[in-house]
Amino acid sequence: MTDTRTPPGEEVAPAAGTVGLRGTAARWVHRPRSRRELLDRLFAVQSLFALVVVFVVAIAVSPRRGGEILFLDGGNLGNIVRAVSEIGIIAVGMTFVILLGGIDLSVGAILGLSAVGTATLMVDSGYGILPAVVVVLAIGLLFGALQGYATARLGIQSFIVTLAGLQVARGLARIWSGGLGIPIAYGDGPKEAPPAFEFLNGSINGVVPVPAVLFIAIGVAAIVVLRTTAFARHVYAIGGNEKAAKLSGVPVTRVKVAVFAIAGLLAAVAGIIHAGQLNQGSPNDGAGYELDAIAAVVIGGTSLAGGSGSMGGTLAGALLLGILNNILALNNIDANVQLLIKGLVIVAAAALQKLRNTVA
Amino acid sequence: MRTRTALLAVLACGALAATSACSVEKQSDGAGSGSAASSENCGSGKDFLIGMSQANNAEPYRQVMNNDIETAAKAVPGFTVEVADAAQDNSKQVADVENFLTQKINLLIISPNEAKPLTAVVKKAYDQGIPVIVLDRKVEGDAYTAFIGGDNVAIGRAAGEFYAKTLLPDGGKVIEIAGLPGATPAAERAQGFREGIKSNPKIEIIASQPADWLRDKGQTVADALLKAHPDVNAIYAHNDPMAEGAYLAAKSAGLETKIKFTGIDALPVPSGGIKAVQEGRLAATFQYATGGREAVDLAKKILVDCSKDVPRSTTLDTMQVTAENAAEAYTKLGGV
Repeated sequence: MTDTRTPPGEEVAPAAGTVGLRGTAARWVHRPRSRRELLDRLFAVQSLFALVVVFVVAIAVSPRRGGEILFLDGGNLGNIVRAVSEIGIIAVGMTFVILLGGIDLSVGAILGLSAVGTATLMVDSGYGILPAVVVVLAIGLLFGALQGYATARLGIQSFIVTLAGLQVARGLARIWSGGLGIPIAYGDGPKEAPPAFEFLNGSINGVVPVPAVLFIAIGVAAIVVLRTTAFARHVYAIGGNEKAAKLSGVPVTRVKVAVFAIAGLLAAVAGIIHAGQLNQGSPNDGAGYELDAIAAVVIGGTSLAGGSGSMGGTLAGALLLGILNNILALNNIDANVQLLIKGLVIVAAAALQKLRNTVA
Repeated sequence: MRTRTALLAVLACGALAATSACSVEKQSDGAGSGSAASSENCGSGKDFLIGMSQANNAEPYRQVMNNDIETAAKAVPGFTVEVADAAQDNSKQVADVENFLTQKINLLIISPNEAKPLTAVVKKAYDQGIPVIVLDRKVEGDAYTAFIGGDNVAIGRAAGEFYAKTLLPDGGKVIEIAGLPGATPAAERAQGFREGIKSNPKIEIIASQPADWLRDKGQTVADALLKAHPDVNAIYAHNDPMAEGAYLAAKSAGLETKIKFTGIDALPVPSGGIKAVQEGRLAATFQYATGGREAVDLAKKILVDCSKDVPRSTTLDTMQVTAENAAEAYTKLGGV
């Protein structure tokens, strides 16, 4: 969850004035380096801070039954993470893309295509779980890689490439499914999926839903990748200044292809989870998910300009959106007011980021 | 197989019309140029090109409407149907109709995305002498040949009466999962339901939340609502996918056997509500007819039979689908 305006491992050495944090306000004003450092540290946990605030507010306004705070109920917290797991997994991929200075509008459609693929392969084509999953993941990976290649090699803005990709993936999903949802029934007979696939619908010890576990595992893995690998440093470098990165020997094309391939792969993972959670693959699944994922990334403090941001922030951003949806429904808030509240919270988070860019 | 289904479908609707299950209004005086001009170009043994302008293929209901039209049209010798998808875009739909006019279609079936923006182009077609059948959503004015649509208030009322008399005769707590806020069908299905349950004052709607017609949102919203109200007796969803989503939420909370679920739409497709009733997840669903078969029936009357006396407005009745009649309903509505 550290701020990573500079690539990890190359962070600016702690300024001499760090000790000044203990000093007076006057000292901060007169020692800009300390002040900046303090701000950096404050904003580094900005998304986490917002998450904590929303969490506390949710506890405060939660309905109670017999003294029990319903929001904090283990099952409810599990539901929240489960509900945002798909958006969260997509947002992890989206973070890489945005750090690169790009955007990926195709992920929602790839999710739909993958959900349809999972359902069709298992129900209609008689695939086992593993072959179906492998094929769907391969499609997502390849789709993303192609988009990355088009962006890097043809020099087309990723916005356009992935907007086109969105249409293509949606079209493929519609053709593959005949325009209608493919229900997944479980059993050993023909037109039935292996019952083991239902594990995506289940939970560990009856409390922690499986999709939530997958989301957290993928999120943690992504944090590690972003903090420790040369690949991550290349991503930050390209997002910061592509020309400079190229001149200093960063393999720009390869990194771009890899990043978009990751985004496509993770969208496919989310699509498989989607099919498992809803016992259905529909060509319209995941419509608009790309926007929720981008929102999670931006609330998490990653700059849409690229080169700056963190994965921990994205996870926090996704959870924040989930808590917001949950607490509004828990309290049966009027639908129109919900839109208002959601909009204001997102603007507040974005404003916080703007503040950071102008002050720090 | 498809042809047989279509035949069955046409027969079914004929039977429906005969037993006055489709309530019809006779054509008013302003029958207009559409059917008048068509009389010159009608008769059996001719080929007819029908343009079907669909507001949005991405909704399963509209996909089924297209399928209904295509299968029913295949059963009529000489009928060719072309479907254009406006993808929820008014200007695209205007262009679609204009393209149809360029192609010199013999009849236009249109399910408009919105009334006002499409009124002018529908009038343009009608004024050129092309019969126009408007499906599901209306256009303004009277420059069309016939309108066929469902009645969402009546469907909501039917659902409410089912709750009051059959599902919860001794009363109980109900959660409503609503359609997209601001959408007319959502408002009407909510209003009708409240009228329907009035006869049983012991039924109480304890919470109402929108899930935008979506299965995944239905699940998420029901997750939270079931936490807040685990003692609920039934969930009334404005469509079948949201009812299925709510069922999944109840299942993960271990409440699925204690709560009854109902939906609306009853699409005769594998992922539709009728199958969910058959498989025991939903207690009931209420048909929102696509009108596709009825539209082709009307097109046949106009183009093949040269009939000038077609009903100006047809309101399609709903059908209550429960475990008793689900299998029968599935076949009757043309499911495969």
